[in-house]
Amino acid sequence: MAEPIVQIRNLSKIYQQGEINVTALDNISLDIAGAEFLTLMGPSGSGKSTLLHIIAGIDRPTSGECRVQNVDVTKLNESQLADWRNQNVGFIFQTFNLIPVLTAAENVELPLLLTQLSKKQRHNQVATALELVGLSDRSKHLPRQLSGGQEQRVAIARALVTDPALIVADEPTGNLDSHSAHEVLGVLQSLRRDAGKTIIMVTHDPKAAAFGTRQIHLEKGELS
Amino acid sequence: MTISAFILKNALRNKRRALLSVSSVAASLFLLVTLQVALRELTQPPESSGAELRVAVRNKISLTNPLPARQRGVIERIPGVAGVTPFTWFGGKYKNEGGMTFAQFAIDPKALGTVFNDAKMDAAGYIAFNQQKDSCVIGKITAEKYGLKPGDRFSLESTVYPGSLTFRVAGIYSGTPDDRNMLFRQDYLDDSIGMPGYVGMWWLKVKSAAGMPRVIAAVNKAFENTSAEVRAESERAFQLGFISMLGNIKALVASLSTVVVFTLVLVSASTMSMAIRERFRELAILKALGFRRRELFAFILAESFGLAVAGAVIGIGAAYCLYTFGDISKMTHGIFVTFEVTPRIIGFSAMVAALLGIVSAIAPSLSVARMSVVNGLKTLD
Ligand SMILES: Nc1ncnc2c1ncn2[C@@H]1O[C@H](COP(=O)(O)OP(=O)(O)OP(=O)(O)O)[C@@H](O)[C@H]1O
Ligand SMILES: [Mg+2]
Repeated sequence: MAEPIVQIRNLSKIYQQGEINVTALDNISLDIAGAEFLTLMGPSGSGKSTLLHIIAGIDRPTSGECRVQNVDVTKLNESQLADWRNQNVGFIFQTFNLIPVLTAAENVELPLLLTQLSKKQRHNQVATALELVGLSDRSKHLPRQLSGGQEQRVAIARALVTDPALIVADEPTGNLDSHSAHEVLGVLQSLRRDAGKTIIMVTHDPKAAAFGTRQIHLEKGELS
Repeated sequence: MTISAFILKNALRNKRRALLSVSSVAASLFLLVTLQVALRELTQPPESSGAELRVAVRNKISLTNPLPARQRGVIERIPGVAGVTPFTWFGGKYKNEGGMTFAQFAIDPKALGTVFNDAKMDAAGYIAFNQQKDSCVIGKITAEKYGLKPGDRFSLESTVYPGSLTFRVAGIYSGTPDDRNMLFRQDYLDDSIGMPGYVGMWWLKVKSAAGMPRVIAAVNKAFENTSAEVRAESERAFQLGFISMLGNIKALVASLSTVVVFTLVLVSASTMSMAIRERFRELAILKALGFRRRELFAFILAESFGLAVAGAVIGIGAAYCLYTFGDISKMTHGIFVTFEVTPRIIGFSAMVAALLGIVSAIAPSLSVARMSVVNGLKTLD
């Protein structure tokens, strides 16, 4: 196997709730290769989201390390981490989390506002991203004028517009009917296959998990 | 899309709230400007030209105690004095009007061209005033208010002296900061219902501003240890004496202004907090996408500042237009005359608005800074 894109070593996350400690992640080690479509399954409360958040640099572990493309994200400070996220990760959430006052294209453009790209370059990238998710004709629509599946595909376009190596998705089809879910999963699949993206997706749905190239299970904070 | 377009879209996403918050800032700043202008006018009445050469001489005991007319000769002999006139309050009521809407004073008719030479009038008016004992001159504002013209006759019933007097209008003057007084002749008062041998107070004109302190000292000294000791002071000091009686009004206006500003800060800060709280989840998304705290601060500050400045432009602008182009003297029935919105007042109010924009952004910025992406994502929208 080539150099893994994500290397997790002895990662633990413990929440302190007064007297009680809740162990969300218990000493996890895991390698994820480039261009892998990893699906993460497990019962509710098993720590799937927590793991995903740490890999994506929006949460910090209690101990252990998490290297993404040889950068230990647990060591970055707040502002370095923000930059890192902007350049290296794309997020997709269960609720689509688009900004309601912005059109599809403007939502997709948001992460690019932090880059040095010219207006024209931004527009090109937005157009490419929307085309990849099959929504070129909806670019001027506001989120409320889109179906749930279309909203989620806009969110995918936003996640990939900065061309990050890694895309993380937390139950991206959780709010969708099976037809829309199928569309979204198809898009993710093609991103891995055609663009070589590494995708980590949390899901409860075995059918969704089947779209991935590898499945792992979490149980009470441990890999099983 | 640009960053500023993004900020604008956010600020205007709830149009009704944006409109209400801009309006509340506008209304409050309009009020603040009004209060400041009123305060300024109360504490710094407009100065007439020639004021720096005028001296008021009144009875040391109080303004209401008269002075003996024989003092005039003594004052006139003091070096540096260019002119003297008695100045006696008549306290007349016009027709059946309840309150007194303009003041009347008995003077020496020659003083109009010397001591009170800032009052301008046509030559015929001066001649008539000097020739006819029962004549009077009236300020333009009062003349217009009552429709009085040269040659008209009218009566005033005095609240100081027994009875009433009939006057003939000799002329209409203008050019003083407040053209409302009526001036008539001391000899007419003395020879009818007045108190011959006594006057209300003296007004002096000195030859040079440099000589003013010496003249004041000399006048005060001249009547020391007489039955009618006097207090001489510059016109400015004399006016300030009245203003100190307005001390409470000043404090009232100042505390009103404070309350206005304070309320405005509370309203704006809570509006802004609400606007941001509603968007907590979106701000968490922005954080996840790589926006740093300082960028989110800038968004919040720009929005808060923008709303405050929009309100300020409307509120201060409206006040400026109204008080500059409107006839404030008519609107307030002559209570306020110039009601000038000075650059200083505009600057002060604009600064209040700017601070308001900044202060309102503090609390939401802090809560956004404290918010972790994960917790922010969990907030329901
Ligand atoms: N902020 C928190 N404070 C305390 N405990 C927390 C916090 N966030 C998560 N936990 C706990 O950590 C554990 C893992 O949570 P996590 O959200 O990762 O589960 P999950 O596998 O994503 O579950 P689900 O499938 O329901 O989304 C849970 O037991 C949860 O109660
Ligand atoms: Mg979860």
